[in-house]
Amino acid sequence: MTPERRASVDVSGLPDITFGHRNLVWWGTTAFMAIEGTTLAMCAATYLYLRRNFGALPPERVAVPGLTAANAEVGLMLLSFVPIVLLRKAAQRKELNAVRILLLVATVFGAAFAVLRWFELMALHVRWDANAYGSSAWLVLIVHGTLLVAEVGELLVFSLIGWTGRWEEKHFPDACDLGFYWFFMVLSWLPLYAMVFLLPRVM
Amino acid sequence: MASTEPRISAEHDDAAHLARVEATWTDAPGLWGWLTTVDHKRIGKRYIATALTFFLLAGLEALAMRVQLARPQNGFLGPDKYNQFFTMHGTTMMFLFAVPVMTAWGLYLVPQMIGTRNLAFPRLNAYGYWVYLIGACFIYVMFLLNTGTDVGWFAYVPLAGPQFSPGKRVDVWAQMVTFTEIAALIGAVELIVTIFKQRAPGMSLNRMPLYVWSMLVVAFMIVFAMPAVAVASTFLLAMDRLVGTQFFNPAEGGDPLLWQHMFWFFGHPEVYIIFIPGLGFVSSIIATFSRRPVFGYVAMVLALIATAFVGFGLWVHHMFATPIPQLGQSFFTAASTMIAIPSGVQIFCWIATLWLGKPVFRTPLLYALGFIVIFVIGGLTGVMIASVPFDLQVHDTYFIVAHFHYVLIGGAVFPLLGAITYWFPKVTGRLASERLGKVAFWMIFTGMHVTFFPMHFLGLMGMTRRVYTYPTSVGWGGLNLLSTTGAFIIAGGVMVFLANLATSWRRGLPAGADPWGADTLEWGIASPPPPWNHALIPIVQGRAGLWSRTADAPVVTGLDEGRREVLVTTLMDAEPDNRQESPGPTIIPLLVALATGFMLILLVFTFQAVWIGAIPLGLALFAWAWPRHPEDAWTGHREAAP
Repeated sequence: MTPERRASVDVSGLPDITFGHRNLVWWGTTAFMAIEGTTLAMCAATYLYLRRNFGALPPERVAVPGLTAANAEVGLMLLSFVPIVLLRKAAQRKELNAVRILLLVATVFGAAFAVLRWFELMALHVRWDANAYGSSAWLVLIVHGTLLVAEVGELLVFSLIGWTGRWEEKHFPDACDLGFYWFFMVLSWLPLYAMVFLLPRVM
Repeated sequence: MASTEPRISAEHDDAAHLARVEATWTDAPGLWGWLTTVDHKRIGKRYIATALTFFLLAGLEALAMRVQLARPQNGFLGPDKYNQFFTMHGTTMMFLFAVPVMTAWGLYLVPQMIGTRNLAFPRLNAYGYWVYLIGACFIYVMFLLNTGTDVGWFAYVPLAGPQFSPGKRVDVWAQMVTFTEIAALIGAVELIVTIFKQRAPGMSLNRMPLYVWSMLVVAFMIVFAMPAVAVASTFLLAMDRLVGTQFFNPAEGGDPLLWQHMFWFFGHPEVYIIFIPGLGFVSSIIATFSRRPVFGYVAMVLALIATAFVGFGLWVHHMFATPIPQLGQSFFTAASTMIAIPSGVQIFCWIATLWLGKPVFRTPLLYALGFIVIFVIGGLTGVMIASVPFDLQVHDTYFIVAHFHYVLIGGAVFPLLGAITYWFPKVTGRLASERLGKVAFWMIFTGMHVTFFPMHFLGLMGMTRRVYTYPTSVGWGGLNLLSTTGAFIIAGGVMVFLANLATSWRRGLPAGADPWGADTLEWGIASPPPPWNHALIPIVQGRAGLWSRTADAPVVTGLDEGRREVLVTTLMDAEPDNRQESPGPTIIPLLVALATGFMLILLVFTFQAVWIGAIPLGLALFAWAWPRHPEDAWTGHREAAP
């Protein structure tokens, strides 16, 4: 029923660019973090479940994972919070110059994580097909590694948009959400790092 | 400076407004419009039609199996074909029909029901459908090429592992799971965000229709259940088969039971993912045809949420025949029995609704009542097999086959057929024949019992599931013949059901906006609904939707009519908060889906697909993200719209 004249609520004055939980993309990002978080939890469950089949961790004739690359990555990850916090603030203030510079900085950090992930795989000292321990350690590193690669890809695209003059106002909340996702990517890695690289040293 | 508060104004020019909305929201005509649309209704309809096509295929496979089992030592299907048929039947019903069709109805209905113009991420929704279609077609093409999976719909290792299932049959199945999980997870994200943030003003959480609650609960279940099977099939099973990982190989520290845990951690919630939307359908139908709101709204919502929580604590009851610690058995028995409580609450609320209302026995209500009868029988046998000693006796027998068909046909198919009958006038603008509808209902209802009730006895007599034949001496012939007869009665009923829809679609009486006098908001829109759904976003005045709407009900104005835009509201109280651009039609979701399909299908054959497939996929995703309107570039001086 649409009578010609009736009371209405005029929403034309409401903003059309919003940040955080007021923005639909933030909710989409959060939902995908829930999915990916569950996926990582399943990988960790696989690792711990299969660990019961081995008398010791790592199994006999397999060296403990090397720590150099893993520690370097964790250190860099924690350091990366600085540019990411700055990126989020610059995006909220809609400062394009600062945003695109910080996007590049974040891309460099992300690429460094991806390269270090390769060295971490080598530092496991076991192939994926050697035994179930190797399979599950590779699983955890690779599945989390897909998050890294996807984030680097996304950062590259947004950097390109920022540096080619095609940046639109709606991209500021997106840049802010990239930073939000970054926190998830790093914080989800810390328990996995402890499980794969530290646990075999204490068990 | 623009105000951030909604203003109340008194006048609105409806005709000019409608013309502008129509110009903005109408798709391009013809095939291009069909391929590029991001309208949730067009995508929802094709999703439903595709899922129903697979329902028919799975039904034909079931008929073939029933013909094979109709008499002892039959030769209609050999053992290998029979293995492929029962695997494809279960796989199709669970992965290609049940979950997609339930999600699809949600994607079709929810935006209309909550008073918004489209889903939160329309292009992602289009992508989800195309991915599902490609994955579903892939497994069927392989089936026609005699590469149909033959290890059962839950693909237990070691049978499904590289040692006992060489060739590509299992790999195809594992990758089909990947396709359908992507689609289901996308559907879930769409529903969660749309329901949370795009409800019409006034539709606070405690005023949401029960159907929308059911889809919200299901969406959360999908988010937390589906990753388990995605990890298990895509990473563990497929990689054991493709690159020699050792997840399930006991000789190298692997564990076949890991598969069962991972699969059923998804598989049991899957049952609720299929039937909770059915509960939403039943609530809608019973309210409309009892002429009153569902009794016990709060209890109903809490029961839905409780079912979802408890549903995650039951998976081990599928594994009672494996070495599970006794404490674990007791826990999962208790949880499996406990699920009867929220189910019972809902059944009693529906009975109270009917009791207190003035029921009108139209076809949709018959399906809702049929659901109650069949589902209660399935639920009772469910309580029986929650008990470990009894379960061990009937494990893997036809008693289980009977139980889960009662639960799934009762819990999902009957509500679904009721929903199709109920919303048919909305989707098509035509009324279906009541007479044919009732004939179909009684045929399917009767056929269901004739087919599946004897299976309880066959199971107790010792007939195990998945046997392709049996000797005359065991005496199962009579009951099997009866069961086969029932299957053909169901098939006849489905034919009548479809014939009714086909003829009514062309020749049915015009339905008008609200032929049933229903309460939810979609009935306030023309039938079939226009691309923009509600011409003016309604303001919801009460839980009963249209029933609580006054003649001078206020509406929302001020959404930009020159671009696709949706109103975003607050999570709890649905107060207007901001406006957001809604993406328009584009071919890119289809291109990204094709690139995804290329990579995943190639991955069945070689791990190099990861690198090869990344190139087209990366390019397609780049095209998705790349802004195509340089004139919209940020100059740093733009103010918010006045």
